[in-house]
Amino acid sequence: MKILFERTGGIMGSKSVLNIKLEDLPSNEADTLRKLLSDADFFSLSEDLAVHPSPDAFHYTITVATDTIQHTIHTSDTTAAQELRPLLQELSQRARTLRRP
Amino acid sequence: MHTCHSIFCITPPHMLQEIVRNGSATQRDIALRTLITSEQFRGQRRAMKTMAAFMSAAAETGNKRRAVYDAKLGSELPGTLVRSEGDHASSDPAINEAYDGSGITYDLFFDIFGRNSIDNKGLKLDSTVHFQKGYDNAFWDGKQMVYGDGDEDLPAAERLFNRFTISLDIIGHELTHGVTQYEANLAYWDQAGALNESLSDVFGSLVKQYQRKQTASQADWIIGEGLFTSNVKGVGIRSMKAPGTAYDDPILGKDPQPGHMKDYVRTVEDNGGVHINSGIPNRAFYITAIELGGNAWEKAGRIWYKTLTEKLQERSTFQQGCDLTYEAAGELFGANSLEQQAVKKGWAEVGISVAGDAPSGCLSTVLSVFGISLRAEK
Repeated sequence: MKILFERTGGIMGSKSVLNIKLEDLPSNEADTLRKLLSDADFFSLSEDLAVHPSPDAFHYTITVATDTIQHTIHTSDTTAAQELRPLLQELSQRARTLRRP
Repeated sequence: MHTCHSIFCITPPHMLQEIVRNGSATQRDIALRTLITSEQFRGQRRAMKTMAAFMSAAAETGNKRRAVYDAKLGSELPGTLVRSEGDHASSDPAINEAYDGSGITYDLFFDIFGRNSIDNKGLKLDSTVHFQKGYDNAFWDGKQMVYGDGDEDLPAAERLFNRFTISLDIIGHELTHGVTQYEANLAYWDQAGALNESLSDVFGSLVKQYQRKQTASQADWIIGEGLFTSNVKGVGIRSMKAPGTAYDDPILGKDPQPGHMKDYVRTVEDNGGVHINSGIPNRAFYITAIELGGNAWEKAGRIWYKTLTEKLQERSTFQQGCDLTYEAAGELFGANSLEQQAVKKGWAEVGISVAGDAPSGCLSTVLSVFGISLRAEK
């Protein structure tokens, strides 16, 4: 399973990108991400959840691909469902670790 | 038993009503009590109804109503109420900064522009602090301000951002998004979105200048001063004076803002570069303010406020921003006034000419031969 995560906007208008292949992660970390995707019922979410952008909010695009299915959603700080937020936080944290020099 | 202030006891009702409308908070309170008492003595039922209306108006005018909530590193809004209007200061600096910052922002809008809160009807100013863990951002969600703690969860050597309430102009910036929502309601993409962002920077910076009692030439014109930790090579997230120079850091990269139309960035990211191209109108405001001298909120601020509240519309462009601030300056200070000329100069220096004032003669011919347009339309 692959996850492509993009976070744009915010008060700085910056962009963070994260590309993860779950098979490459330690099993406990991969399990955490699978659980977060399941808790969010990711493959059932509507594609566009960020119709009206809110000032300075982050906007997120997440694509998850397996051998049989691929699904992309667009959401934001103001439109994301509560069930999706733990996944957004986890991916944002992982993207932040990439910014080290 | 009611005791009345000696001056208000002998003041006729119509004057008391004026004091209720226009006096300080203390003057209003005393005048209201005096009016109520005198109306009760007269036993006039209808007059009491009128008084109720006055009391309502007084509650709506010039009285800050602030509330700060704590999301406790979660994402549910607004969170737990931790400080209301008039409460003592907290031991948590983020709570106090959100409270004080929204108060100072309210004061600028009320004292200088006569505006009663975000909606001009006394809307309560709600702020939530400690939003999510490691959330390096602040935003306006359409109803309230939301602030993250930056990189509070990382080791000190890896932190780039401090808490977002640390910067007063950020608080002013977010609150101004609310004002824009209730007024011009500028769309949040492309040039309208960049104007939206610029207006938030303009009034955010004015809030800081107003608090510090700084003139235009004394101000630093930096947005987000104090937001970066010492690990970042930068002074803030944007410079209105010199867009593109606020930071140049190995991790964050270089400040991407242009300060002139020739460097306008066409992109689909960031809602069409709303935080990038806002550097252009930001610098137009800065030049106008410097040109006028003194306190930027007194003239340049009034021109931009009038434009925001009376002229700009949802899809306004930079060109319209230029034309309408020029028009507002003419209405406030007179046609061809120094103020109107300063606005014209401010926009000209970022590559935008007031409509009907485009280059003519030889220059116009040369520009057209080479297919160059100095108009701001995309």
